[in-house]
Formats: sequence, structure tokens, C-alpha cells
Amino acid sequence: MTVAGVVEHLALDVLAEGDLSTLVTGGYCSDLLSDVLAHAGGGDVWITHQRHMNVVAVAKLKEVAAVVIVRGAAPNEQMVERARAEGVNLLMSGESAFQAAGKLYRLLSG
Amino acid sequence: MKRLRADLHIHTVLSACADLRMSPRRVVHEARRAGLALIAIADHNAAANGPYVRRIARGNPAVLLGMEIQSQEEVEVLALFDDEWACLTLEEELYKDLPDVDCDPDLFGDQVVVDEQDNIVRTVRKLLISPVPWALPDVVRRVAQLGGWSVPAHVDRVPGGLLAVLGLLPEGDWPEAAELSPWSSANDTIEQWPALGRLSLLRASDAHFPHEVGRGWTELRVTEPSLAELRAAVQGVEGRSVSLGPPCKEGR
Repeated sequence: MTVAGVVEHLALDVLAEGDLSTLVTGGYCSDLLSDVLAHAGGGDVWITHQRHMNVVAVAKLKEVAAVVIVRGAAPNEQMVERARAEGVNLLMSGESAFQAAGKLYRLLSG
Repeated sequence: MKRLRADLHIHTVLSACADLRMSPRRVVHEARRAGLALIAIADHNAAANGPYVRRIARGNPAVLLGMEIQSQEEVEVLALFDDEWACLTLEEELYKDLPDVDCDPDLFGDQVVVDEQDNIVRTVRKLLISPVPWALPDVVRRVAQLGGWSVPAHVDRVPGGLLAVLGLLPEGDWPEAAELSPWSSANDTIEQWPALGRLSLLRASDAHFPHEVGRGWTELRVTEPSLAELRAAVQGVEGRSVSLGPPCKEGR
């Protein structure tokens, strides 16, 4: 499954497009960036409420496949621009973290 | 130039999680007991008891007004002010934007404004320990606009500290300094978070109970106990300096 496939199946908005053909190997849910630094894996789709600029830096460092901001809480333009500049796939879901993670889990296990 | 002790993070009864004995009078008494020359009152997202503390203390100790603001990201920030109007203006702005959730005293404790004579002036309706819906950079910017100064509170705490929540220090020239938890060793903390090595570290008590006032402190080498001098000390202006008091050994 690629990021593009996840975007389609979860009906996500693409806020910033890096490489949508990146392979998705897992998922991680957390709003604590220190926890993401310690435990997320490369290739994960990272599901979060956080909209601070450091999200982009952490996503880049961990080489996650994509970041999904949930509940339709749009980040500011600065963060979107940074994600674009860094080639990070920044996505948004109108659903809750629970729903987005549930759908992703089913998709990756299926 | 004088050497003096500062404790820049003290709660009062306005914080639901603080002891009901933490009235402005008691806080001043405890600060004098602890030999503090400068204190800051920092209740959760609220500042209303600070002016009473300042009026009781009459310079002994000098009192900064402040708040411990919880940003949208759930990062806790100490916002410190000399100017009463500026601090109370920010308090009002934050209160307007706080989620409209009542504080249930049975669950959370009381949020009480108390005057110089230990009289209850009012209780605060909304739950003050909710995060305000302001992004961290907006909190920092607004504090600065109003002439205040902000630093991450207990920067090494998990969760609630900036590093746990944001993983890395933000880009840019904020913060200049950071408050360390009362129990943390500076060396161990810097080893864990090397980026902190470039900041001035401040220790404070984060007191919620009377006996905790002054359990963490920072020594300032300054001309007088004020916010301007604190900032100059953090920047090392003309021989001014800050040095961290020892870690607190108990009460974790």
C-alpha cells in the first residue's frame, strides 16, 4: 500500500505533497513528539492532533511515510509550506484519531 | 551587584491542584522563611492572586506577576511580568478563550481569588487547567507584545514539558532560558536533551503546598530583584549571571 492508496481509502486531504508513492508499512498514533521520536518507525503513517512546526522536523527525522492531522484541525500555512519544502506528505482527516487509526489498521491488515 | 535567590514558579489557591492554605499571605510568609528575594506567582492560566501577593510583600520579597500557560500543544509556559495591567490583560484574553468547562471542585479542587486579609474575593468558574486554544508561538508572541517574558516550564517533565511534547526545541530565538523541574540534575537533563545546553537553566519550586516554596531556586547576580534584571542576568549582561540551585531531594 502506498501513501496515495491510504489517501484514497481514508478520503484524506493532501495538504502538502512529498512523494505519494512512498510505501506504507505501519502506523503510529501519538501527540507527544518525544514519544514519536522514540517509537515511530520509518514507513509509518503518523496520526496526530499536533500542529506545531516541529511535527515536520520529527516526520522528516523519522522518515515516516506521511503525517495525518485528524479532526479537520487545519495547520497554519507556515507548517504546510515547511512540509512542502521538506518533501513531507502532510495529510488531513475530518475524522477522529480513533476512526482514522481504525480504518488504517484494517487497510494494512487486509 | 547583589547575589539573591529567586523562586519563579509558585502556585496559590487559584490553582485547583494547589493546597487551600496557599493564600497570598501564606505564600509571602513562606517565601520570607525560605530566604527568597524574588518570587513569581504562576497559577494555571490565571494571574489574579499575584497583585495581592505583591501588595502584602511590599518588596520583601519582590514579586513578579505571572501565569503558567498551557498552550494548544499542551506545552506549559511560564509567562512573567513586572506590569500588573499587562499580566491581567493577558489573563482576561486567555480566560475568554478557555474551553467553557466548569471546574467541579469535588473533582479538581477550588479555584479561589483571596485578598490581603485571607478573605475570599471570588471563585473562578471555568476550569483553568484546560489548555488554551492558542498555538505556542502565539502565546510567546502575545506575552512579548505585552512586555512580559516567557520560558518553558519544567522543560524536562513528561508530559507537560516542552521537550516531551515537541521533541525538539523550536526553531528561532525562543526560548532564551528554561525552567528545570525541582528534582532534576542539570547535567543529567542536558545529557538527555543536549539542545538544552545552549539555554540558561532556571530552577524553581513549582510549589503547590506551603512547605514546597523555595525547594527549588536560582541564584541571580543582579543589581535588583526585577524582571529586567532577571533577563539581563540570563543574557549575562555586564557581569550579571544566573546559577542553578541544587536539585530538591524530596517530595517528588
